[in-house]
Amino acid sequence: MGSEITVRMIDVAKAFGETRALKKCDFEARAGEVHAIVGENGSGKSTMAKIMSGVLHPDAGKVTILGEKVASPVDAKRVGLTTIFQEVLVADEASVFENLYVGRDGVFRSQSTGDRRTEAAEILARLVGKSVDLDQLAGSLPLSIKQWIVIARAILRKPQVLILDESSAALDLDSTLRLHAEIDRLRAEGATILIVTHRIAELVRIADRATILRDGITVGTLGKDEITEENLLSMMTPADRRASDATEYASRKKALEAPLILTATGLAAHRSARLFDFDLPKGSIVGVAGLDGQGQDAFIRALAGIIQPFGGEVKVRSVDTDKMVPLRSLDDAANLGVSYVSGDRKREGIFPQQSIFENLAIGVYRKKLGPLGVIRKPTLKPMFKREVDRLRIKIGSPSNRITSLSGGNQQKVLIGRAFANDPQVILLNDPARGVDLGTKRDLYRELRLFAEKGGSVIYLSSEIEEFIGFADRVDVFFGGTLFRSLTGEEIAEAPILAAMFGKARDASVDFDLERTA
Amino acid sequence: MSATAFRQVTQDRSLYVPAGLFLVLLCAVAFRGQGLFTNNGLAGAILVATPLILTALAITPIVMAGRGAVDLSVGPLMGFVNVTLITWLVGNGITHPVAIIAWAVGLGAAFQLVQALVIIYVRVAPIIVTLSGFLVLSGVNLMVMSRPGGVAPDWMLSWGAGTSVFSPVLLLLLGAFAIWGVLRGTMFYRNLRMTGADERMAYTSGVQVDVVRIIAHMVGGVFAGLAALSYTALISSGDPTQGSTYTLQAVTALVLGGASLSGGRGGALGSTLGAINMFLISYLLSTFNFGTVSGFVTQMAFGLILVGSLLVNVFVISRRTVA
Amino acid sequence: MISTVLNTEIGAAGGSSALRKHKSISIGFCLLAGLLILGALLVPGFVSPQNARSILLLAAFLGLASVGQTLCALVGALDLSIPYIIGGANILLPSLMVAGLPAPVAMIVVLVLGTLVGACNGALSFRLQGQALIMSLGLGFAAVGAVQIYTSLGSQFGGTVFAPVPGWLRNLSAFNGKFFGLPFPPVIVIWAVIAVALGWIMHNTWFGRSLYAVGGSRTAAARLGISEFKVWTVIHSVSGAMSALTGMLLLGFSGGGFVGVGDPYLFTTVAAVVIGGTSLLGGAGGYGATVLGVLVLTVLTSLLVGLGLSFPAQQAVVGLLIVPMVAIYARSPHIRNQI
Repeated sequence: MGSEITVRMIDVAKAFGETRALKKCDFEARAGEVHAIVGENGSGKSTMAKIMSGVLHPDAGKVTILGEKVASPVDAKRVGLTTIFQEVLVADEASVFENLYVGRDGVFRSQSTGDRRTEAAEILARLVGKSVDLDQLAGSLPLSIKQWIVIARAILRKPQVLILDESSAALDLDSTLRLHAEIDRLRAEGATILIVTHRIAELVRIADRATILRDGITVGTLGKDEITEENLLSMMTPADRRASDATEYASRKKALEAPLILTATGLAAHRSARLFDFDLPKGSIVGVAGLDGQGQDAFIRALAGIIQPFGGEVKVRSVDTDKMVPLRSLDDAANLGVSYVSGDRKREGIFPQQSIFENLAIGVYRKKLGPLGVIRKPTLKPMFKREVDRLRIKIGSPSNRITSLSGGNQQKVLIGRAFANDPQVILLNDPARGVDLGTKRDLYRELRLFAEKGGSVIYLSSEIEEFIGFADRVDVFFGGTLFRSLTGEEIAEAPILAAMFGKARDASVDFDLERTA
Repeated sequence: MSATAFRQVTQDRSLYVPAGLFLVLLCAVAFRGQGLFTNNGLAGAILVATPLILTALAITPIVMAGRGAVDLSVGPLMGFVNVTLITWLVGNGITHPVAIIAWAVGLGAAFQLVQALVIIYVRVAPIIVTLSGFLVLSGVNLMVMSRPGGVAPDWMLSWGAGTSVFSPVLLLLLGAFAIWGVLRGTMFYRNLRMTGADERMAYTSGVQVDVVRIIAHMVGGVFAGLAALSYTALISSGDPTQGSTYTLQAVTALVLGGASLSGGRGGALGSTLGAINMFLISYLLSTFNFGTVSGFVTQMAFGLILVGSLLVNVFVISRRTVA
Repeated sequence: MISTVLNTEIGAAGGSSALRKHKSISIGFCLLAGLLILGALLVPGFVSPQNARSILLLAAFLGLASVGQTLCALVGALDLSIPYIIGGANILLPSLMVAGLPAPVAMIVVLVLGTLVGACNGALSFRLQGQALIMSLGLGFAAVGAVQIYTSLGSQFGGTVFAPVPGWLRNLSAFNGKFFGLPFPPVIVIWAVIAVALGWIMHNTWFGRSLYAVGGSRTAAARLGISEFKVWTVIHSVSGAMSALTGMLLLGFSGGGFVGVGDPYLFTTVAAVVIGGTSLLGGAGGYGATVLGVLVLTVLTSLLVGLGLSFPAQQAVVGLLIVPMVAIYARSPHIRNQI
């Protein structure tokens, strides 16, 4: 038992316009194993998962799932492959029950609800840890339960091959352990489980094998004993980058002693969370970390004036008066020189139908208005050129659409938009999401330069490795509040991870299944 | 049926507004006189309201399928079936009921099939496809029949008398409800709702969204054919000019019935209630005597009720998402 | 001669960058040129000052009525109140003049009322988004109903109002109107001026840029501090005002008030916007494109009339044209690429 090959990819390639998401991908998974697919953001993991699921068709190469070709999700369903996609796909207007069984039957088969309801109630109770009303509209449920609905939907199908694409992102530690128990159960039944993730700590424990992707190429597969953090990291990231990172650290410690430019007092992400204070020294880079939904996202948005925090106050030192002035709205943020860059560039960053120039310049129009709202355009061209040069944005003609650029260059344009206003403080909300290595490096370099010239940076990231050798301080959120501030030696993977899971300072985090209480 | 309908009303808040409006209008109509609640009154009401109810039903599955697919072509499609039936069939001596009904239903379904295929395979936004269908059919209708005229087949003439509640027109209506009822019992209905609510989720979960969309359109086409039959019975002739009116009224009825034009929410019950409410509004207004301006008062009141109902709908729905 | 008039007009309105950016613009130009050549070859008298004048005159009305529709389409809205406001203005103006208001005052009153209806429309429909078009329809009904009640109270007028139209208003938009002695009605110049001004405003003012921003990505626009509500309300107000203006100018064209005069504009404005290349989903396109769409529609109509096609046949041809035109520039991505 357990040795038959269920998933096979040979020489698979896939490009989206200019971007080559997958260059050469070879992969094999067996029945009864948990196989991790690891890589940095933008390395092509999700594309690989989508090709296996039949959502995307490869440009070249061969993919067989349980000996068959899968060309659509309908095919996938037929062969017994189920995918839990990164995005939590739940229909808000439909009931929990409908969400669980969507797509299970053909177009015209009559509905049978009898056994399904008990089965569904059972599995949700097991996963969520408490019973969930099946007739409730899914839209009224919190994100974490929606995530469980998506997982339960997949498990209810009793899949032969299950793909989890970053599916544990929104789960806390207890939930992660429950998910792992579920994965174990499926493995014991002989299913193939593919975990697509960049969270290394998680798979050290659960995976039987791991295949590593780098820049669209599968660089190797590790067996159970070889899966260690060091091995994974060294295969995921090229050697040169790891070497260059460590050296930068010492010189930056002084930054934290500078006078404060931004303070926040008595903040809370939601009503029941413990209040916390936050301060940002001038010229420093502060990293913000946390598992999804621990309040760090709301925190950075509150600093940007996008949302109102529950109580508390944000103050920024005004350039003109040198006094601390409250920041309550987007307008305040603009006046005080606080710029915000979102990592969700598709949704809240770019204007897809507009030119590259327009996308960068629109951030400064308001400062360049003459009478009747007429934009003084001549001043914009030098500004545009300055930002393009500074960030080394690779563009063709400035009048080309922004969507003609790769994801990394689009992100640079958005960062250029933030820089163009000459801000005092830049807030970055996971800007490196889906961005290639080169872009990340340019980004770190520019932010360090910005900080050295007296600018201040708050950098939220979902990838711990980003902070190491880059941030002067890392503030970790847990349970809707600032849980711990880490400086100096503590800015390393293990302490950050411990704090993210709400552990004591010296505890090590391991995903021990026995501890599922 | 009434029990499930009741449960639906109590569960689905989008039906609160149309159901409430229906009760208010019913009381108001009763207060104004008993005219509607006689045999003749009801028979007339059914005759007049059925084409509207059926056109509203005809766009319901299409709107439910999502992508902002408001079917603008429904009115002219009904007109197209109406004028071709009078000119091409009756005009050439084909009057057999089976032929007439098959033509109406088949033509409606065939046209919607074409629209669905264009939407799916040419990948143009549905509203543009149906706008195109609207313009083409509006033109073609006038080419088939330049002005209202012709006569309905003999056997249909008695339908439009409006003397009995249990007329064949009511049968058309019940037939449409029966088709819908059968569909509701199958997975198609659930797949349709899921496709409209979140097409990407439905697609990745293995729902054949293209098939669902095609069927939704064809069911809508069948209803449009039935609407055309009831319309032909109502006017006992052909009329190529009413397409635009019926499109606007049907879309309005749908929205009054609590459906969301962006998909996922709505149903036959809501659309029917919406259409009946529209009928009741104009009926109610017609019981007042505004003299020479009555037509204009009707129009204005109608517009204002539409605006008010939309605003209340927003309130009810936004409260739900907060809860 | 016509094509030079057209070219300068579009060149000024659309700007040369639009030419490079949008496939649809160049296709529109080809289509227009093709239609003009076809007309010249097939229809005797197609290339004549009279025909050019009549094409431009009809295009001017459609063009003015399409201003609001274009702006609405740029943020993904549709304004269905346009025909009703046109019709309402068309009968309100003469009945106000019969009531004794001086013509300029009456015109201002009508324009203000049109703007107000538009503003209401924008303010009320903002929260509805997808449903907004039904709101505009409802308000259109209400407005035109109210106007008709006003015009018929104490008079025999209903949907039609007879009143002496001042000579200057007649000259503005009648077929044989003169523009400072030149043989074309001034409404064409009014349209041209508005088109050029609007094209400039859209590209060079904060309002214009925020309009595109909201249409392109609501959330991204909100992050830049752009008030979507303000944009939404302003464009609907502009649409109301332009519809009222069109209604009043149409009075000069026809000589008598008729409430149904706006009806053809319900979907032709949408068709002009779509054929021009402004996506109904928002964010892309512009008034320059709509000018092109208006001209294509009007020239096509004129050609079809010249070929002896009836109005219904023209409508059918226009309908058939829409899907291929949109398919060229605005196909939606396959669902595979949206996951």
